Amino acid sequence: MIATLFLLAFMQIKVPDAAQFVGAPQGTPLTGPQLERRTMEISSELRCPVCQGLAIGDSPSIMAANMKAQVRELLERGYTEAQILSYFEKSYGQFVLLKPKFQGVNALVWILPILALAGGFLLVVTKAKKLETAPVKSAAPNEPVDEPTDDLYLARVREMVDKQ
Amino acid sequence: MNKTVLIIGVVIVAVIVFVLFGGLGKDPQHIDSPLIGKPAPPFALKAVGTGQTIDLESLRGKPVIVNFWATWCVPCYEEHPTLVANARNLPNVQFVGVVFNDTEDKILRFLAERGAAYPTLIDANGKTAIAYGVGGVPETYFINPAGKIVAKFEGPLSTELLEENLAKAMK
Repeated sequence: MIATLFLLAFMQIKVPDAAQFVGAPQGTPLTGPQLERRTMEISSELRCPVCQGLAIGDSPSIMAANMKAQVRELLERGYTEAQILSYFEKSYGQFVLLKPKFQGVNALVWILPILALAGGFLLVVTKAKKLETAPVKSAAPNEPVDEPTDDLYLARVREMVDKQ
Repeated sequence: MNKTVLIIGVVIVAVIVFVLFGGLGKDPQHIDSPLIGKPAPPFALKAVGTGQTIDLESLRGKPVIVNFWATWCVPCYEEHPTLVANARNLPNVQFVGVVFNDTEDKILRFLAERGAAYPTLIDANGKTAIAYGVGGVPETYFINPAGKIVAKFEGPLSTELLEENLAKAMK
């Protein structure tokens, strides 16, 4: 029992590591200003789980600070942006990604604005075509006046002229 | 044309209203854990007071309740007596507290004042909490004897909620 306790006391501390979830680093380890810049960039893509709608880079919360430190450490170790985002997604789900992935219901977020834009464009084009054709019809000087309304109008004018 | 515009308008408004009302019932703080049904991320952390390192893997074979908390978390004060009482009543369940961004002094004082019935481990920089997808504290993960996460609970647990979630780990 004492031996077990002794062994336990000297066992190494172990925290879950990104390597277990996303494998070995696939990029080059970063240092200096580049490390700072990439840390900020990736931190702006991860949502703070405590505060709503804020990126971890913009949040003052403890959890966000821890996550940002983890992003920095992973970049220092040579993990790529895709690997880092995937690591956080594995524990927090897609919730943590501020830029939703193009899959499942989330794809609608990307598709709907494009559809709405295309629909609006079509509407404008059809309207514009109608506006273009409408005045041509009424303003054509050489077109024979054969519409019944015009006939009636002319007849009325003639009638009035004859009377005078 | 006017009828078509009206129909399109009504459809768009209906979709927006449906989506907004759907979202109203949801807790914005709730995060669905992708870890449910997956192996619990392994850790071996030092316990406050004893200095003993506790390895999660060594706890296989019985249900484990991992409670993330901190002394700076107000709801944790409310939850603590429930956890201590249940840990005393359930000897076949291993309770483990994991504290992050805290100091050993404060944790020891908290436990001395409010009781301790299970090991409290220090997750110095919150890496374990991140691997578990912890949003805020308190947050509790229920692990079955095979080492898989079967449930996650956000916020302070009551005995009833603890039993309800623990039942999933007993299966």
